[in-house]
Amino acid sequence: MPVWLREHSWRQTLTAVHLSLPLRGARATPASIFCSEQYLKVSIPPFLFEAVLYAPIDDTNSTAKIGNGNIFFTLYKKEPAMWDSLTLKNVDKEKLQYLRENAILKAQEKAKEEMEAKKITKQEHKKYALEATMKLEEAERKRIEDLKEKERQKVTEELELWKNQHTDGDKYKSIQKKRELHQEIEPLKERKNEKLNKIQIPNEGTSKTRLKSTKGCSCSIFSQNLKEEQLPAPRAAATIKVNFTPRVFPTALRESRVAEEEEWLHKQAEARRIINSDLSELEDLKEEEKNPDWLKDKGNKMFAMGDYLGAVNAYNLAVRLNNKLPLLYLNRAACHLKLRNLHKAIEDSSKALELLTPPVPDNENARVKAHVRRGTAFCQLELYTEGLQDYEAALKIDPRNKNIEKDAEKIRHLIQGTMQSS
Amino acid sequence: AAAGGAERPQVVSHVQQALSYTVFDCKWVPRSARLLCLGSAARGTGLVQLYELHGARLELLREIEKPKPIKCGTFGATSLQQRYLATGDFDGNLNIWNLEAPEIPVYSVKGHKEIINSIDGVGGLGIGEGAPEIVTGSRDGTVKVWDPRQNDTPVANMEPVQGESKRDCWTVAFGNAYNQEERVVCAGYDNGDIKLFDLKNMSLRWETNIKNGVCSVEFDRKDINMNKLVATSLEGKFHVFDMRTQHPTKGFASVSEKAQKSTIWQVRHLPQNRDIFMTSGGSGSLHLWKYEYPAQRSKKDSEGSEMGVAGSVSLLQNVTLSTQPISSLDWSPDKKGLCVCGAFDQTVRVLIVTKLNKI
Repeated sequence: MPVWLREHSWRQTLTAVHLSLPLRGARATPASIFCSEQYLKVSIPPFLFEAVLYAPIDDTNSTAKIGNGNIFFTLYKKEPAMWDSLTLKNVDKEKLQYLRENAILKAQEKAKEEMEAKKITKQEHKKYALEATMKLEEAERKRIEDLKEKERQKVTEELELWKNQHTDGDKYKSIQKKRELHQEIEPLKERKNEKLNKIQIPNEGTSKTRLKSTKGCSCSIFSQNLKEEQLPAPRAAATIKVNFTPRVFPTALRESRVAEEEEWLHKQAEARRIINSDLSELEDLKEEEKNPDWLKDKGNKMFAMGDYLGAVNAYNLAVRLNNKLPLLYLNRAACHLKLRNLHKAIEDSSKALELLTPPVPDNENARVKAHVRRGTAFCQLELYTEGLQDYEAALKIDPRNKNIEKDAEKIRHLIQGTMQSS
Repeated sequence: AAAGGAERPQVVSHVQQALSYTVFDCKWVPRSARLLCLGSAARGTGLVQLYELHGARLELLREIEKPKPIKCGTFGATSLQQRYLATGDFDGNLNIWNLEAPEIPVYSVKGHKEIINSIDGVGGLGIGEGAPEIVTGSRDGTVKVWDPRQNDTPVANMEPVQGESKRDCWTVAFGNAYNQEERVVCAGYDNGDIKLFDLKNMSLRWETNIKNGVCSVEFDRKDINMNKLVATSLEGKFHVFDMRTQHPTKGFASVSEKAQKSTIWQVRHLPQNRDIFMTSGGSGSLHLWKYEYPAQRSKKDSEGSEMGVAGSVSLLQNVTLSTQPISSLDWSPDKKGLCVCGAFDQTVRVLIVTKLNKI
């Protein structure tokens, strides 16, 4: 039960009410005071003071001064009138409750509104700051642009100047040269006269620019002969034999791919050397049938002729001999596709892809084929999304292949079709 | 980076010209404000276009179409009066054209079995001494040197040993042509090999491997005692070799820099200052570099033989012009800072690099 503070004293004027509340030793903080239009509460546990005011006050402008064990309220009345008493008399419990709640609600609303207003002003300030910075930056940028532009214009002018004086100089030079040569080589002129005429006549009607260089051209007959006597004879033909730093791949060398290329080569070398076979089973095989490459070729031939089961057998045997050659799995996957053993096709393509790491340009073709075969198998099993994934992987490796693109499009349509209908 | 430091050279884009074909090489016509674009049209024929710089635009003066796409060209072996263009095309043909009468080539030979990737010329344009010669490097793994006065057979042929598998030659460059006898050819291959051939002795003078395909090599000057060689490669790396001191086993000293994330397609030295060069990259960017020499260019190693000391390279400026690789670059020999570059976005751009005098 709170302890009610009842020893308050008050005075009033026409516009204001002065209320003094002794606190009996309790410490008051601004948080302990709650005031709304018609309700005033001071709560310092365990002390409590509340008053339902006689008439509404302007709670935003009213003040409370805390000090000397006392709270001194200055409440400004909304309507200037003399109050009969500080509080409303005969306030029943319900009304009191209602008033209390209302007051709280009103206070909350007010708080919310204040917050809103604060937010808005903050935003406006931000916007203003932003605009100001933008203007500054814009000015800076413009200044730089102007500098550049000035530079550009200056340079353009210089260029024009150079060009003009240069073309004049050129013409002048070529005319001078001709005159000099004519003077120097009188006897030669007789011999060259015919030649000169032949060249000059077609030039009669040429444009200005061509004339410039042909003038130079007719000079060259004279100067060329002079110069030729000074030039050494053509070199004696010879050949220099060259050795190149060895490189396994036909593509150009890049440092960043060297590590991957090494890995791939190493793997291939390893794969060739593996002979994981159980000799006892294979004793009755001919020598050539124990060679995985020969078996692969046999399998390829059978595939080409349409004997898919035979091809599968050949590849199976080859795999038993050497299970690290990716091409065996790749080709076996193609056979399974033809035989409609779709799950086996997927398995084999996956195994091939595993063995075709790291991805280098050398095994690009093989990887594209593996993805396409696996994609086809998925699609035939109606697992279109997986199929599309594989087709897209194939496209990533070889973006220019039109067939893969077309098929990928078809699958996309299929997926969209099934989604719409379901 | 572009605006910082008022004293840094700026790369100003002067003119941009959209083309209707793929441009593989662009070259300034010496002693003029004209430039050539060489490339391949969509229908598989070769195109040579001659433009003239007029104010802020390029005016097309002439267009020449040839049966095979053209990969590269040079004016290096022709005299200043003649200004004949030597081109290498996709079929392995080396042709020299008089641009005034381009119907019949002045010189023609089917030099290689596959595309000529790179071409260079020396002995012309009043630069250096000695016979005019053209070198071509091809995908068939051979590097051949031609003299325009000798038909059909090359004067030097660098080919793989019998039975050896070939590597593509991606780039060639002449150097060391400081008198009538001396000359070297440097060739870069797709497996990272760089080989230096001495044409006076007809022998292999030096070789090394830089672990990435070599896209472009260039000496800082063709007509002096060989001073520096820049080799650019795939994966954004380039090496600058100091060619003054050759160690018997270690070869030439070098400094390398990894600049751009992508292939560096071309390197070109500024004709007016041999310590400044520009590299063009696969990401459409251009980087301008300056080489600084070390305090001492050579020192003695533990056995007493001379070995070179490489200097350092600093980046002066970089700019991104395109989203596609800039595959060709050429400085104008007449106006300092003027350059043209061609990119695979079918655009040729004329650029001006400012403040090069202050370096």
